[in-house]
Amino acid sequence: MKRIPLSRCASQLQAAPSPRRPSCLYQAQRSIAARSNRTQARYQTTVSIPNDGELEVELPEEPSLVAGQTAKPRIRQTRWPTPLEKLPSPHPSSAERSVKLHALRSRLALPKRFPLQTLARTLVHPSADPNAAFNNASLSILGRHLLGYYTTEWLMCNYPRLPMAVVFSAVDAYIGPKALATVASEWGIEAAAEPGGEVDPGLLQFRRIQSGGDLPASLRRQAPWSWNVTTTHKIMKTDEFGSDSAAPSPHALSSTPVPMEEAAQSFVRALVGALHLQLGAPLVKRFFRDHFTSRHLDISTLFDFRTPTRDLSKLCAREGFEAPVARLISETGRLSRHPVFVVGVYSGKDKLGEGAGSSLDEARTRAAAAALKAWYLYRPLEVTVPSSTEGELDTSKWRPNMVDCGEVIV
Amino acid sequence: MSASKSVLRTCLNTRQPSLLPRVQCRHESTARRHRKLLALPEAPSYTPSTSAPSLIFNPPSSAPSVYHTPLKFLPKDDKRRQMYSQALSASSTAALRHKTSPVAAPGTPLSSASHLPPRPSAALPAPVRTPYNKKYHLTEAQIAEIRNLRLGDPDKWTRVKLAEKFGCSQFFVGMVVKVPEKAARVEAEHQSMREKWGKRRREAREERERRKVLWGRDL
Repeated sequence: MKRIPLSRCASQLQAAPSPRRPSCLYQAQRSIAARSNRTQARYQTTVSIPNDGELEVELPEEPSLVAGQTAKPRIRQTRWPTPLEKLPSPHPSSAERSVKLHALRSRLALPKRFPLQTLARTLVHPSADPNAAFNNASLSILGRHLLGYYTTEWLMCNYPRLPMAVVFSAVDAYIGPKALATVASEWGIEAAAEPGGEVDPGLLQFRRIQSGGDLPASLRRQAPWSWNVTTTHKIMKTDEFGSDSAAPSPHALSSTPVPMEEAAQSFVRALVGALHLQLGAPLVKRFFRDHFTSRHLDISTLFDFRTPTRDLSKLCAREGFEAPVARLISETGRLSRHPVFVVGVYSGKDKLGEGAGSSLDEARTRAAAAALKAWYLYRPLEVTVPSSTEGELDTSKWRPNMVDCGEVIV
Repeated sequence: MSASKSVLRTCLNTRQPSLLPRVQCRHESTARRHRKLLALPEAPSYTPSTSAPSLIFNPPSSAPSVYHTPLKFLPKDDKRRQMYSQALSASSTAALRHKTSPVAAPGTPLSSASHLPPRPSAALPAPVRTPYNKKYHLTEAQIAEIRNLRLGDPDKWTRVKLAEKFGCSQFFVGMVVKVPEKAARVEAEHQSMREKWGKRRREAREERERRKVLWGRDL
């Protein structure tokens, strides 16, 4: 939970201001509509269903089910001529009555004008409801691209010198499938045991894999062809995390059982997509900053150098610095069982990095790795991400970002 | 200074018969006096020179953060270059006025601060290995001779011997000429030796390899 709007909490504690309220319902609706034009905007992202009493859901009705329905209350029967169990996912009109959805909207500090029907739709994975008008496939495609765009631009503007492999793993750590599943569980998303029309729409709807069952063929990891393992291939052909093969499209997963991680990540992506459609880009950027960029990731732990000393001398030669020299800054217990050497790598009179180790070679290698990290983890002081100037006419705040010439290739 | 004198006195007064084992003896008559005696003055870096409130900067010796980009790695138009050069000029003018503190002498952890450039008065530490310049002195004929010698009798003309003879590095000899047959034979010998290892030695070597991979990650 990030922020609780205080006004909402306070109004819960107060008594209802009944004398001010107009007694006529239509008048009240008109006054609300007059106050803000935004509430007039269309709420529903699902296909609109006329909800005026004679709602009919077209489904093949079986005589036994119709006979079994006579036990239900009469009012219910007039509103729902088909049993709810026959629907693949909860009906959009039941979203307003769901306590879970109200709680989720408040927990995420989303404004009231974000409709609960849309929020309910983001929770329906295509494996539960193959109908593209009711599941979150299209929204999650949009949300995935938005998340990838915002994360990559934030990383590349803040750390312009990162090597591509580190960019891939950092993006994966921020918005990868595992990270999104963790985010969803931190938001308190619970999964329905089995999707269906009678389930609370505040639960994540997807078809589970039976215990002991295999992953669907589209989600199974395939070994790449030997000519498809280059970084260029990963940039051009696969997803934003540099996987070996591209992830399956959400539409391809309809009616196949999926693991919960897949359903949870599609929910988070679909929520971002729905927020973008309903509330606009500035709010989505704030949402992204609050829920994704605010997470701490130590990028320096993502590096793995095989030959750091060679890389560093190549780097110094490329940039025109003096060749790096390892110098022993301090040592203790050279003849003992546990010696410690502190070695610094110097280029001319400047110290580039420092490392400690139990042998001279270890300390030297660590110092070179630290120096390379210091090069790659350079962070400009002032950063304006390109998306911050979207739709603004005033470009005086724009500072061009640094574009580095690339990583060291030995 | 009184405390230091009394410590000296205790040290001088410890005169013991040589044949007896050395045991602890206190020459202060009460525990309180002894405790007072051992209350040494604080380290000079913690003791402010003036009575006025001042800032004490005494960081523990730890590896500098990799997020502090060294001056050399900053781009030309970065603001931090200017700030570092200002700090450098300030510290050099101060260095002319003050001597470097003994705590910050070379060889101690404080000799060069992690994010500031080193003091101009501080000398660079000694290099781990003797620095050398590449000579590029071998001619084509000499390289051909290296090749002939190595291919003619790889057991006599090893990489070490050729490197000594021609004044180049072993790595260069390996680049110039490769003898895959000998490499395979030596590798098979090593493998047969490795198979004779016991469990402890094998596990220790494997563990060492695993640790060595972590050097490059610097974790």
